This record gives sequence, C-alpha cells and structure tokens, in this order.
Amino acid sequence: MAGVARAATTSDVFNAIAEPQRREILVLLRAGERPVTELAQALGMTQPGASKHLRVLREVGLVRARKAGKQSLYGLDAGGLRPVHEWTGGFERFWNESFDRLDAYVQDLEQTRQGSS
Amino acid sequence: MSATERGAPRRSATEQSGTREIVISRVISASRELVFEAFTEVRHLSQWWGPEGFTTTTRAFEFRVGGEWEFVMHGPDGTDYQEWISWTEITPPERIALLHGETRDDPNAFESILTFAADGAATRIEMRTVFPTKEMRDEVVEKYHAIEGGQQTLSNLDAYVTGIVRERAEG
Repeated sequence: MAGVARAATTSDVFNAIAEPQRREILVLLRAGERPVTELAQALGMTQPGASKHLRVLREVGLVRARKAGKQSLYGLDAGGLRPVHEWTGGFERFWNESFDRLDAYVQDLEQTRQGSS
Repeated sequence: MSATERGAPRRSATEQSGTREIVISRVISASRELVFEAFTEVRHLSQWWGPEGFTTTTRAFEFRVGGEWEFVMHGPDGTDYQEWISWTEITPPERIALLHGETRDDPNAFESILTFAADGAATRIEMRTVFPTKEMRDEVVEKYHAIEGGQQTLSNLDAYVTGIVRERAEG
C-alpha cells in the first residue's frame, strides 16, 4: 500500500496552520484567552471572519473555548499541535533519516558489487 | 540517480492523532533483494541504522524468527541507548516483523511490520508500527524526540511552536 496522503481539508492541523491569519490568532492567544471581538479587532477583520478561523482551529484541537458570562473566551490548546510535533521530530524523523542512510548505503553496495563482478 | 530526485514525493507518513499506529513509507533506489538484505545482516544494519551521526555497537545478533539483536545506539551527543530487537516474522524478500524495545524484558516493546514492494527498479518500504495503547505510542514518540537530541518535549510544545509562529509573523 502506498503511503496514505494526509486529508486535504482544514480538518488537518497542518492545513489549519498553513493559513497566515490562523497563525496570527495562535500568536495572539499565546498571551492568554481572548474573546472573538478582540481577536477580530487585533487582526483587522470582521467578527464572522475571525469566528470562521476559530472554528477551524477548534476543529483540529488547537484552540478551545469556554463560556465566560455572555461571551466565549478562546485559548490555546497545545495538544492539537501533537501531529506537528511528531512530524518535526521523534519516531518518524528517526526513521526517515535512517531510510535516507539506507538509501545511500544500498546504492553504494550495488555499485561496489557491480564493480567487483 | 541525482540527489534532487530524492524528495518529498518519495516519502510519506501518516499521523493519525488519537490512534495507536504510525505508518512510514519510503522509496529506496535499489532492488528489493538488496534492500531486504540490508535488514538481515548486522554489517549492513550498523551502516545505516539511526539518523546521521548515530552509531551502533552490537552485543548479539541472530537473524531468525525468535532471534535477537542486542545493541547500544550511540547518539552524536554521546548519549547511549540500550536497544533490543527480536524478529517475529521473516519472509524474504517481502516482509519482516519485529519487536522493538530497550531490553528483552521491556514490557513496552512494540511491533513493527516492514513490507518491501518492488517499485520499478526501486523498492517501496512501508513500516507499520502498532502500539498496544495510545499512551505507549505517545511515550515512544516522546522518547524518540529525546533521542533526536535537543528536541522539545510536549510540555514545552505550545511555547516552542507558537515561538516559531511569532518569528514568522514578525519576520
């Protein structure tokens, strides 16, 4: 089976953070929880626009919301960054780098054998 | 084969957050027999096992079902890691299944299944690793972060990634 491609939708954390304004929202939330009105203002966008981005970020688990009186406060949820963390390091990187070396090694081996036969 | 030919389309991986499995797929530019052979002898394995800068010292190696490979992996920063592998299935030149842990008694040993498929003159390797629990999968991923050296642990994660985000936003 060929490698299964990552789903090309915003339900994927990689796609979610590929959008510059959504990354800006994450930066803003780094300082603490904010209501959507403040985020929209800080980003210079409409509230429905900011809400749309927040929905995507919530869907992939990067942002969580909690009710505070009449409004919702949005905050960072680092757990959603786990796939990014795994992709940038860890087990997969270990194996991808090992397979880089394997690729070079078997090509050398093939050449050596062809040369000596 | 030019180096520029090696790139993103030739490798892929899936991360299914919340599941117990990690699948890594990769095309290697050599015949299936040769790629398979590189997994069967310690003189080969010691030449490529681990990321750039890692070396291994083997204590015992017996490539057969039920056989074991006991070795120490040396990281570029001087850290040593005890490693233990035992093969559970060997089907040349198609399939190898192995248990991977730190020692023979490691209760957290996990199983990887490697399949080798001819892809023209090249070989596609797929490594499917299934962890007994999601928690163990997370633990292993964390351990390999540490092995990679200088990687952030998950507890530092939001500061780390949002730090990158901030640099980009400001840069």
